[in-house]
Amino acid sequence: MTVRTIEVRERVMARNDELAAGVRARLAEHGVVALNLMSSPGSGKTTLLERTLAVLGEPLDIAVVTGDCQTQNDADRLAAHTARLVQAVVTGGACHLDALQLSDALDHIDLGKTRLIIVENVGNLVCPASWDLGEKSRVILFAVTEGEDKPLKYPKMFEKADWVVITKTDLLPHVPFDVERAVRYCLQINPRLQFIHISAMTGHGMNAWFDFLRQSIRPLAGV
Amino acid sequence: MHELSLAIEIGRLAEERLGASVARCVTVGVEVGADSGVEPSALEFCLEAVLSYPPWTGAKPAITRPGGDALQLTYLEVEDDDSPND
Repeated sequence: MTVRTIEVRERVMARNDELAAGVRARLAEHGVVALNLMSSPGSGKTTLLERTLAVLGEPLDIAVVTGDCQTQNDADRLAAHTARLVQAVVTGGACHLDALQLSDALDHIDLGKTRLIIVENVGNLVCPASWDLGEKSRVILFAVTEGEDKPLKYPKMFEKADWVVITKTDLLPHVPFDVERAVRYCLQINPRLQFIHISAMTGHGMNAWFDFLRQSIRPLAGV
Repeated sequence: MHELSLAIEIGRLAEERLGASVARCVTVGVEVGADSGVEPSALEFCLEAVLSYPPWTGAKPAITRPGGDALQLTYLEVEDDDSPND
């Protein structure tokens, strides 16, 4: 027996990136913008989306794709707030959404009647960072109940993001979270990050979030 | 634990390249860059699991750690039957 070596040199993420490019092209064709919402579990993604859909679901023609390891609880919760489509992806244990899953989810969304798709990724600060879904922007939710050093512990997630939404600000009087330090750590990892501070419970800062969403679809709105 | 997804994708890429020779593959060479966000020992564990099922017959992963964020299938080693003339 002789051993023969075959050179390959193929990127492992190549197929996902091709699928993500396909998603991006499909969305662009319909003038739809997708945002990839990522965070650790329990940072307030679903509550933020509940408030968002109640106010802007109809005006901005928002569709939501939720990703969870098990259950479609989030999709059910959100569906109670909007007549707009909420599509659940159950990953069956996988720790992230990939471009194929989003591409399949798009098959169930009327892109002609949608302007903004918000993808609620699986709650996880590690794995989703590696998978391009075809989104326009990545938004990380960072709750004041977490440690300020999350960006230092999970740098890849913050490196690849565009926006950070500091959530649950109504709890600031009750927790030792130092907002200034958290922002500083974020910028240390990625100086391009932009910030919004909100409390979905009290409504504080929600207008800034709504303006961000309106702004996200503006460049394409007239097309 | 996205290393399992990556291991499955590496297996798929290798099968695509090897076709029927997959059963004779002995080594799957993978580069895992230091900044790739992938834990090499977890990937190795997952690859060993993937490569223990048919059509694989127990090929071994060989992981190298260059700098940078590369994550690629670099090479495959296949055992060939020697011709009777050798």
